[in-house]
Amino acid sequence: MKQSGRYFFAVIFIALQLCLVGSEGMAQERPRTASTPAIPKKIISLAPSVTEILFALGLGDRLVGVTTFCNYPPEAQRIAKIGDFINPNVEAIIAKKPDLVIGVSGATDPDKARQMERLGLKVTLVPVPTLQKILSSIRLIADLGGKEAAGERLVSSLQAQINRVHKAVGRAPRRSVLMVVGLQPLIAVGKKNFIDELITLAGGENITGGVAQPWLNLPTEYVVAKAPQVIIEAGMGTEQEESGKRWADLKSIPAVKERRIYSYRSDKILRPGPRFGEALEEIARLIHPECFAEANRNLKNGNGCEGPRP
Amino acid sequence: MKVLDRRKMIQVSGGLLALLLLSVVGCVLLGPVPLDLSRAFENLSSANSDAEILFRARLPRVLLGVAIGGGMASCGVVLQALLRNPLACPQVLGVSGGASLGGILGLIFLPGWMASVWGGFLGEISWVPLAAFIGALLSMLLIYRLSLFHRRIHPYQLLLSGVIFNAFVAAIIMFLNSIVDFYQAQGLLFWLMGNLSTRAYLTVGFIWLYVLLGFAWLWSQGVSLNLITLGEEAAMQLGVEIGSTQRRIFVATSLMIGAMVSVSGMIGFVGLMVPHAMRLIVGSDHRLLLPASFLAGGIFLAWADTLARILLAPAELPVGIITAFFGGPFFLFLLYREGRKRIAL
Repeated sequence: MKQSGRYFFAVIFIALQLCLVGSEGMAQERPRTASTPAIPKKIISLAPSVTEILFALGLGDRLVGVTTFCNYPPEAQRIAKIGDFINPNVEAIIAKKPDLVIGVSGATDPDKARQMERLGLKVTLVPVPTLQKILSSIRLIADLGGKEAAGERLVSSLQAQINRVHKAVGRAPRRSVLMVVGLQPLIAVGKKNFIDELITLAGGENITGGVAQPWLNLPTEYVVAKAPQVIIEAGMGTEQEESGKRWADLKSIPAVKERRIYSYRSDKILRPGPRFGEALEEIARLIHPECFAEANRNLKNGNGCEGPRP
Repeated sequence: MKVLDRRKMIQVSGGLLALLLLSVVGCVLLGPVPLDLSRAFENLSSANSDAEILFRARLPRVLLGVAIGGGMASCGVVLQALLRNPLACPQVLGVSGGASLGGILGLIFLPGWMASVWGGFLGEISWVPLAAFIGALLSMLLIYRLSLFHRRIHPYQLLLSGVIFNAFVAAIIMFLNSIVDFYQAQGLLFWLMGNLSTRAYLTVGFIWLYVLLGFAWLWSQGVSLNLITLGEEAAMQLGVEIGSTQRRIFVATSLMIGAMVSVSGMIGFVGLMVPHAMRLIVGSDHRLLLPASFLAGGIFLAWADTLARILLAPAELPVGIITAFFGGPFFLFLLYREGRKRIAL
């Protein structure tokens, strides 16, 4: 009994020390603009979105490790795996001797990031909660990798995509949108989520607006009460067959009555990476198909979608 | 053996049934979104959002909650009697966990074509309850076997085996959770937490069917259960075939738990709390205790789910959180009382 008590205190003591050590080298967001002295040759990505950003910047060939979730671009699947998005394996990362490890703040375990820093690795966690933050993270990663010009090009092409979509749907009346990622239970996109921004940019209005959570579990009655005009199912689960039955009885929902229930089963929209522009355009086409139909182009003011006239 | 007091039976069951009906009405009327009742009943044929909230979104969910609450409570009653252990209930014994694991394995590994073939026959629920049923039955047999020494069940052995088995199953579920697709993973977690949601009437009907069949079977064992609570030897002397009664009850409860868990995940503590409360109120004649617990379990879960819908509106909580919030302290209280009784002896 006495001995086990001593062990207990020893463990507590060591744990406290670890806490102190840990708080010294915080690996939090370091928005560094000055170019780093040495350009990293071996990079490890701890998130699918980071992997996509690196490839989009032309840094894919420097990746020596990615997560098991990194499936895009296809080349990423051939790179060695260092664990999954939630649980990267620190030993596997160290074994690769990377010059730079990039994760996502809020998703990458900060304890593991600190652990890696203590072991002498350079770790950067990029923030991605909003579209602006995603763009600045792209710039940051480009700077770290010595690809400033490519970073600027990527950011401006994404901004051009946003502008193009805005031009197409900017004048159209906003449609109320429910975007779900799970049907059983019903998990919807909340306000504190970059996907909410994408919905707004695509000419929609998220029906969960005002609820400051990234995701929320909604009761069916809330959806009926909010009467969305468009429902987008963005989940990637095995629930396809359920989808039709799920809504069929609820004919008072305009989206059900007008058959505006779409399945958008692509991980593009769920990843805060360089493909959000594509995702934006695709969901804008779902929310406002009339603004993109080629046949409607010729109609004058036929659909109220035209952007500001020159 | 005392003759069943018919008047008491009718009074208790009738009273609880009336309370249940009132609760269903109350729970259907309460919710996170406001409702215009006159509009809801005005024109039922056309698409009317108030009517849909009432009859399509809330009513099936409340009915599902009643079936599951009632089913869990009746399983708790018979397991407590059969194992002569006041702490027995589907979750504590690990049977819910086994059912969850079976259901998840079915969900992940049964090939897709089976889903469509069987799905055509049985609607939304299909072979998942079957897999959950097998999981429930196997885990119940395992736990039973592990606590059987010299033909006697040892209550604390049973309890601990169940708790550990549950933790083990939770670990396997978390493991499966980390190997399946990222997006499938989210759907798996709800099995662990216990969650009611709006289901098609067809599904709700099937769950009621499973639960009522199982319940009728259990109810028919009422007299045997009364005798078993006297002790296995006494029951045998009075002509109860313990072995076959046990088998029948294991199959019936596994069937019910499998079906319930396959749509709601592991909703805990209903099967523990309600039977005890009812025993205090109506006594321990199982012919009366079983229907009373069924009705009270339905009432309890319907209200717990209403709380789950309202508390954080518009987001909802898993109902398992609410039941555990009430049930956890209750369980500890029971455990303490039992311990004190044993030590005082």
